[in-house]
Amino acid sequence: MTKSAYPMLTRRNLMLTSAMLAGGAALGGISKGATAQAKDMDMWYWGEQELPGLQKYVNDSVAKYNAATVKPMLQDTAVVISQFQTAAAAGNAPDVQYLWNGIYHMESVWLGYIRGLKSLIKPDVLAASNPTLLSHFGGDVYRTGWYPLPMFWCYNKTLFEKAGLDPEAPPKTWDELLVACDKLKSSGVEALGGGIQDGYWSEWYITHSLPQQLDSFSEAVELFIGDRDFREPKYHEHWVKLEELKKKGFLNKDMSSLELYPGIDLVVAGKLGIGQSIGTRLPADSKATGGKIGYMTMPVFGKGKLAATPVVDVQGLGISKDAEDPAVAAAFLEFLQSPDQLKAFWEATSWLPSNTSFDPSVIQDPSVRGLWQNWGLKPNISNVTNLVPGQFYERAAIPTGQQIVAGSMTGEQAGELAANTAKEWKEFNPDMVENYRKWAKDLSSPT
Amino acid sequence: MRGNALQLGNVVKQTVLLLASFLALVPTIYMVVTALKSDEEYAIDKLGPPDAPVLDNFYAVLVESPFLHWMLNSTILVAGSVILSTTISVLGAYAIATMRFRGRDTLLAVSTSLMAVPPVVMIVPLFVLYTRLGMVSTYFGAILIYAGLITPFSVYLLVTFFRTVPRELYEAAHIDGAGQFTILMKVVLPLSLPALVTLVVVNSLYVWNDLLIAIIFLQDDAKRTLMAGISVFSGRYNNQVPLTMAGMVIASAPMFMLYVLFQKQFIRGLMSGAIK
Amino acid sequence: MTPSSRLTPYLYVLPLAALLGFVFGYPLLKIFEFSFKMVRGIDGPWIGMRNYQLVLGQSLFWEAVLHNLQLLLAIPVMVAISLIVSVLLSERVVGWKLYRIIVFVPFVLAIPIVAVVMKRMFQFSGPVNELLRWMSLDFMALDWIGSSDVALWTVMILIIWRESALGIILFLARLLSLDESVIEAAKIDGAGWWHRLWHIILPEMRGVIEFYVVVSVITMLAAVFSYIYIMGGGRGGPGTSTEVVELYIFNALIRSSLPGIASAASVLLFLVTGLLIFLLFKVRQRAEAA
Repeated sequence: MTKSAYPMLTRRNLMLTSAMLAGGAALGGISKGATAQAKDMDMWYWGEQELPGLQKYVNDSVAKYNAATVKPMLQDTAVVISQFQTAAAAGNAPDVQYLWNGIYHMESVWLGYIRGLKSLIKPDVLAASNPTLLSHFGGDVYRTGWYPLPMFWCYNKTLFEKAGLDPEAPPKTWDELLVACDKLKSSGVEALGGGIQDGYWSEWYITHSLPQQLDSFSEAVELFIGDRDFREPKYHEHWVKLEELKKKGFLNKDMSSLELYPGIDLVVAGKLGIGQSIGTRLPADSKATGGKIGYMTMPVFGKGKLAATPVVDVQGLGISKDAEDPAVAAAFLEFLQSPDQLKAFWEATSWLPSNTSFDPSVIQDPSVRGLWQNWGLKPNISNVTNLVPGQFYERAAIPTGQQIVAGSMTGEQAGELAANTAKEWKEFNPDMVENYRKWAKDLSSPT
Repeated sequence: MRGNALQLGNVVKQTVLLLASFLALVPTIYMVVTALKSDEEYAIDKLGPPDAPVLDNFYAVLVESPFLHWMLNSTILVAGSVILSTTISVLGAYAIATMRFRGRDTLLAVSTSLMAVPPVVMIVPLFVLYTRLGMVSTYFGAILIYAGLITPFSVYLLVTFFRTVPRELYEAAHIDGAGQFTILMKVVLPLSLPALVTLVVVNSLYVWNDLLIAIIFLQDDAKRTLMAGISVFSGRYNNQVPLTMAGMVIASAPMFMLYVLFQKQFIRGLMSGAIK
Repeated sequence: MTPSSRLTPYLYVLPLAALLGFVFGYPLLKIFEFSFKMVRGIDGPWIGMRNYQLVLGQSLFWEAVLHNLQLLLAIPVMVAISLIVSVLLSERVVGWKLYRIIVFVPFVLAIPIVAVVMKRMFQFSGPVNELLRWMSLDFMALDWIGSSDVALWTVMILIIWRESALGIILFLARLLSLDESVIEAAKIDGAGWWHRLWHIILPEMRGVIEFYVVVSVITMLAAVFSYIYIMGGGRGGPGTSTEVVELYIFNALIRSSLPGIASAASVLLFLVTGLLIFLLFKVRQRAEAA
């Protein structure tokens, strides 16, 4: 062989790869050497993005845990599900996986990627962690709850006072809401809204408003897969109501170009009266305003059984079918639910872990404590948009709110779009329809 | 009379060029000026120069955010893919330009036409393959893809350049008993330095600036590149505009500095890069 | 020729062929294969033309195509701007070297960076609108980012801003290589600026202009992902008003986990750009012959 380029080429590549391998081996060796007979586990998770401090909590917990070596990896928001699902399809899924509620993990259940937990985790631990109704399918439960996300309509108590409204008695019906918005507007403040540019406000609006016309979540599932029709007036009434808010000029003018969190900041800063917010923000927002952020269920216009029920979603963790030793993974999940861990969670993130045995007396802020007592510890429902197939989410759930707020869509047209999208989804995903129908049966109880 | 017309013409020309320059610079100016303001000052005064310039935002970006880590990741990818691609391209182009073999012209034609294939067309199968092989979120996996994407252009440029090396030089070296590889290393490469520099500049810019491949193939938070990080950063701090702008200033600093130092190579490189 | 040297060329080009085969060859074949399958995860059953039926029947896809076509409107503007500025620069007016450096800055900054900056600038309560209101041009203070009618035009402004810089440099390179004597002769003959531009300079530039146009067309159809992803908040928003085909493919793969659909769309995009590549070759052939 002539002195060809091959040696040069392979040498370079070899150097690069061996450097990386060596580095990886060194790191692996250090952690492996620490515990003699330790098992290895992968954990993919999300959440630092919405709960700062979580990553540190995870890293600290993993370091503390002696029964196995857990390798955590924080995922990017856009790929939490697809990354897991593609890995699972190839047989490479991590032992423990972070799972958003509802369809986000239920699809993986149907594809056989996640294990049922009833036979792996102690029943009282499982129940206390509140994985929510949406993690149930065919008699088994597929997640342990990790941390709750109470969802509510927030309002600025100081602005209420200025507008002549009772800060401790927020509007309960739709008509009362319209009156309140009017008074806010007269007092010189923008009444209601936030930021809808990134779309999430639109999702949250559906979270609070759609259940008002429903008696159970199985109705919602049927709507999303096209077995029920969004064109029926009662099923798009909530979008008509949003249109009403827009027409009456109650929404803030920069809503379309502002993102979700800056929109909530407007309420905290006293520039907007009423908005939609989420529990994990309350500690900081309450502190910033001296306890002047109030929370309420969305004022009622609907006649369904679920109207006026507080919404609490829960983020969870599950075990994949590729887990080499499911018992080891289950032990780690139980570890995370132990009293010491719950306390460490609270301390690292300033937020509550999802466990009914968690002692709320450590919560100093009365608003936060009140929220947990009224939302988390009383009957509640999950986020209904967690039932929505990805296609529906992108194509209908997000654009409807955005376009109504921009004034380019009516409530009825939103219903039309939703109905068409549901139909489209059915055509693109015929293999999933039966699963959804079965799931709907599991969801037919109100809470 | 003619002099006046000439002067008027000149004034018009200068005005147009000044306007163009102003428009070209406005976002950069806004970026820098805003980065120096505090949140409160920006809320009041979005346009004017900062009354009390603060460096806090830069500090926050450099010390408290993963920017530097992201830049490190981007650097690793740039270094890896440019080294890999340049090596492969030099070898291939040398053979195409100086040797005769069957399939030579077809190879060159295929390689050249690949320059215009949009990367988005490749991502679905590569993503599925990488998932099966466990190569998603690996430096090597991404480097391989980037190297592939920048190679057609590199080959094209190098073949064009190698062909301009005078035959006599080859013959003289042959007579001296040098093998083909030696000729490449001792004669052709030193002569090709300008072309190689251009190549490195253009390709580095391409890999550094890429977003699509970075988002899809480097999903692990620890391996995030600067560009992917920017979209995350601007989303997380989108209500803190001065902080976001400070991040943008820092992110554009490396390439900006390179541009100022090496404008000629940049411009020449991007001119030929336009053929991409 | 000794036997070893007959093999040598192949050894030199083997890495090249392998790399290109892996990064281009394999995917280009696979997208055709996947486009005929219902892929879940890494493979799936054969379903014939169903994916194409679904894609071509989905209004979102056609919206995306329409938006890409709408972006083509940017090209005449880009060409005009690039021409004017490059001609002025080529006349070497006072300070032209400095102007040239400045005018190229847009292309040096990475797209995500300029997109983030522009997005802040064009916020509804942002500096651009503030300036317009201050100049009493309130009617022009539109919701650049948030309105579904305006958003795509805003992205187009950004694209024009950045891509024109490239055109300027391209055209300038060609202009500086033109034969000075012809232009001088025309000047002496009394030809005015416009006349010189129209009848002498432009014909010489036909090749590079055509080239720029074809490259830009391919860009508008298949290389605007970074602009859209940042300006549109990662989902072609507001609503679906900035959805483009690249984003459609990205969403189908990453957000909807439907690689079969994404592949079908990729095939369609590839065929269209393939046609344009072919045209590009014809254009360059003509330019080389000229």
